[in-house]
Amino acid sequence: MPRMEKLIPRLKEIVGEAHLIRDPDKLKACAVDGKRPQAILSPGTIGEVSKVVAYANEQSLTLLPMGNGTKMGMSGIPKKMDVVLSTLRLNRMTDCDCENLTLSAESGIPLGEVQKRLLQEGKGYFLPLDPPFTERATLGGIVATNSSGPRRLLYGTARDLIIGTKAVFPNGDVVASGGKTVKNVSGYDMCKLLIGSYGTLGILCEITFKLLPLPERVTTLLLPFVRLEEAVQFGREILQSQYLPSSIEILNEMVVKKIKSPIVQQGNYLVAIGLDGVAESIERQVSEIGERAKKSSALEIAVLASETHSSFWKAIRDFSEGLVEEGSNFISFKSNFLISRCGEVMGSYEKIAKESGVDCGLICHSGNGMLYSYVFAGKGVRSKKEFLLNLIREFSSVAVKNEGHLIVESCPPGIKKRIDVWGEPRGEYEIMRRLKKEIDPKGILNPGRFVGGI
Amino acid sequence: MQREQMLEELSKIVGKENVLSSETDLLLYGYDASLFKGKPDCIAFPGSTQEVSEIVRFCHREKIPVIARGSGTNLSGGTIPTRGGVILHFSRMNKILEIDIENQRAVVETGLFTLALKNQLARHGYVYQPDPASEKVSTFGGNFAENSGGPHCLKYGVTTNHILGAEIVLPDGEVIQVGGKALDNPGYDLTGILVGSEGTLGIATQLTLRIMPKSEAVKTMLAIYNSLEDAGRTVSAIIADGIVPATLEILDKLTIKAVEESVHAGFPLDAEAVLLIEIDGLKDGMERLAERIMEICRKNHARDVKSAKTEAERTQLWAGRKGAFGAISRLRPNYLVCDGTVPRTKLPEVLVRVMEVSKKYNLTIANVFHAGDGNLHPLILFDERDEEELRKVHLAGSEIMKLCADAGGTISGEHGIGTEKMKEMFFVFSPQDIAAMRKVKKAFDPEDIYNPGKIFPEVQA
Ligand SMILES: Cc1cc2nc3c(=O)[nH]c(=O)nc-3n(C[C@H](O)[C@H](O)[C@H](O)COP(=O)(O)OP(=O)(O)OC[C@H]3O[C@@H](n4cnc5c(N)ncnc54)[C@H](O)[C@@H]3O)c2cc1C
Repeated sequence: MPRMEKLIPRLKEIVGEAHLIRDPDKLKACAVDGKRPQAILSPGTIGEVSKVVAYANEQSLTLLPMGNGTKMGMSGIPKKMDVVLSTLRLNRMTDCDCENLTLSAESGIPLGEVQKRLLQEGKGYFLPLDPPFTERATLGGIVATNSSGPRRLLYGTARDLIIGTKAVFPNGDVVASGGKTVKNVSGYDMCKLLIGSYGTLGILCEITFKLLPLPERVTTLLLPFVRLEEAVQFGREILQSQYLPSSIEILNEMVVKKIKSPIVQQGNYLVAIGLDGVAESIERQVSEIGERAKKSSALEIAVLASETHSSFWKAIRDFSEGLVEEGSNFISFKSNFLISRCGEVMGSYEKIAKESGVDCGLICHSGNGMLYSYVFAGKGVRSKKEFLLNLIREFSSVAVKNEGHLIVESCPPGIKKRIDVWGEPRGEYEIMRRLKKEIDPKGILNPGRFVGGI
Repeated sequence: MQREQMLEELSKIVGKENVLSSETDLLLYGYDASLFKGKPDCIAFPGSTQEVSEIVRFCHREKIPVIARGSGTNLSGGTIPTRGGVILHFSRMNKILEIDIENQRAVVETGLFTLALKNQLARHGYVYQPDPASEKVSTFGGNFAENSGGPHCLKYGVTTNHILGAEIVLPDGEVIQVGGKALDNPGYDLTGILVGSEGTLGIATQLTLRIMPKSEAVKTMLAIYNSLEDAGRTVSAIIADGIVPATLEILDKLTIKAVEESVHAGFPLDAEAVLLIEIDGLKDGMERLAERIMEICRKNHARDVKSAKTEAERTQLWAGRKGAFGAISRLRPNYLVCDGTVPRTKLPEVLVRVMEVSKKYNLTIANVFHAGDGNLHPLILFDERDEEELRKVHLAGSEIMKLCADAGGTISGEHGIGTEKMKEMFFVFSPQDIAAMRKVKKAFDPEDIYNPGKIFPEVQA
């Protein structure tokens, strides 16, 4: 690749010799859907990011921003990826202002690290996001993919928690939006545009979040049910009540088995209700929700102690990581839909999986209408390709029927080639393409990976 | 295009009775709650998305500016026609289309008054959280375009956190749906960028809103101070203690006096400031939390703290807050509301500096504001017929924005930039930041049809 060779000296000059990696093994480790970058660059400051991006733009070099790479399998096959731009050296907490309940931090720092440090500040604080890959996911990766977890029911998602961003746009400009005030309507809310944009509009470098003090007490109620309808109905009852759970999850048997449930497994569906708050309110909710569950034919009412509580939720959040560790062959999906349709969607997915002869694990944020599903294709995925493509079509049509979408989060490249991982296109895609065109006219940031071919 | 021809075309779309164009009409729709004035070419009252789209398509073809208008209560000149054009008034599109309790969503037309939805929701035991003090008459279209806040936004977030989708008419007349009832659709968060875009990117005809069950219990308290700074210090201290109440609102002496003369909320006339505090949620532990808050008030020299014992007492306290702007407008012919916002830790020092500005220009300033959000509202009182005074008012307003920006804050927390604060955008943004916003404008509205002459500073820094 002679062209690349010509560009290397300038890139080295910007980030320093040590931070430009060309070791073939390391490049291989960064491959996405079989495509390999020609270099990995790790700028150490926002200024360096800006210089790298400006140069890449000038030279039409495509960049793929990456944190710890936990979600690289998500989104479409890259059209082109010349250089991986690693954010890992941007790893400082730049302004931890707990008294103002805000934190500004660089994008390459892992959330796990941030939480650990916030825990030690004053009376103990936290950033109320609980996305998958608890330990390793970086702030930038979480925000760029709008990643969230069970507790979003109470605390919301990145769009509710972020009040400022600093990003490098494709022309190299450092663009700031928002700030550290909790209210701000000065100019367009550019933060919203960057959240969930999968690195296609700008390189997130610094992000300002709202913080909260640690809740006085947290606990979990585990309620197994025999039938899906019972579990769903119970979740709905709690959602419509004045109780304030932090999460209402519904798991199917397959998932409960894999996470090694802290209670003896019974029933086919487990409702897990997370409770955060002051001691008095937790006590009352535990007893009243438990009482209601008994009446609604829950097989058991288990209250988790604080250590089991933490490990239980971690196992749920990091479910796919666990599958990778055990060497499972799986395809995973995220579906969104109307809150009231959890039962229909979960039921249909189980039925479709059964008819296709595959196992299927389901984790549903039932109060938000989000479902994570894992289809276990077993050995010989290749021979089952047509089967799986059909299953994906059917899953997708169920989600669409319930006013949502199916996003394929991970699958082998052979399948990816044949589908749009983002699901059915919508009328608003044309405007999205125009935004991309204005902001990144040369298409240097993550080309081909996002919705509508962006 | 000839004016007559334009009126004829518009009449064809919405009917003759729904187009206004007399000199009086042009005067009436040429101003809003800000200090600015302009003049439209005419006003049209569409009755459906289809009609909005047709009007916009026509204006796009003829390059006529289009300015959406709800109730005109915005405080930044957001509805002022800067280059003539058609005012689209949404008063005919004011229906609640759906209250979907099962999915915790409501769908409304954008001409609906904020409070009108809330009153209907109350019957179901549900709430739509954002509560601008103007909610009796402000429209959802205005709330959407300004990303309005309100006293309860401290805990629940502002309008953007509660709008999940919208039907949008683009500047070429095309109608698209962004977002929806389900959360996290794939793609860019167009709903997010459209909220707060002040009618410059898209015109909303319908909105999908998040609604939630009413909280079980609420407790309202009033702390009384002999110094405004102490009230500000209390707010910083409550937040620093890790408590996020539903509401923390401050009213200063001048405001108290005005309020007592008009709505009689029961605020003591000799106090320098009162702090209105509300907490809500489950009833358990609420007394303990209230006690902790009152303790913080006392530590910060509140001379008295009391809590509302009955719903009537609570309503009375709130009437005092909600009626504050109205009450103040009785003191002098005009007021300018500043909207600077600062990190909560900076409140006490910034309040002192605002009072210094008041002294420097010899202008009367009243303060009534969303303290918990760090969102100041110094109201500068004046008489616009006194040109010298008016000149000083603008200088003082700009100086207050500057001192908020310098304290790590921003120039607008909820009222928007409009025509009022375009110059001051450079207090908080670099030319690069603004250039990026212009790209967004260009992607949506390359021909600058929608609400021209807003937000963007005319000159480069
Ligand atoms: C006494 C008083 C108290 C106030 N209190 C508060 C408060 O507590 N919090 C707060 O945030 N604000 C407050 N405001 C400001 C104001 O009420 C809000 O900005 C409100 O949201 C404006 O609504 P409106 O219907 O009057 O909109 P308008 O003033 O008519 O319009 C505002 C903006 O919205 C655009 N717009 C209107 N409809 C649409 C549409 N359908 N699609 C796209 N754009 C549209 C307009 O072009 C304009 O840019 C107050 C104002 C007053 C006078």
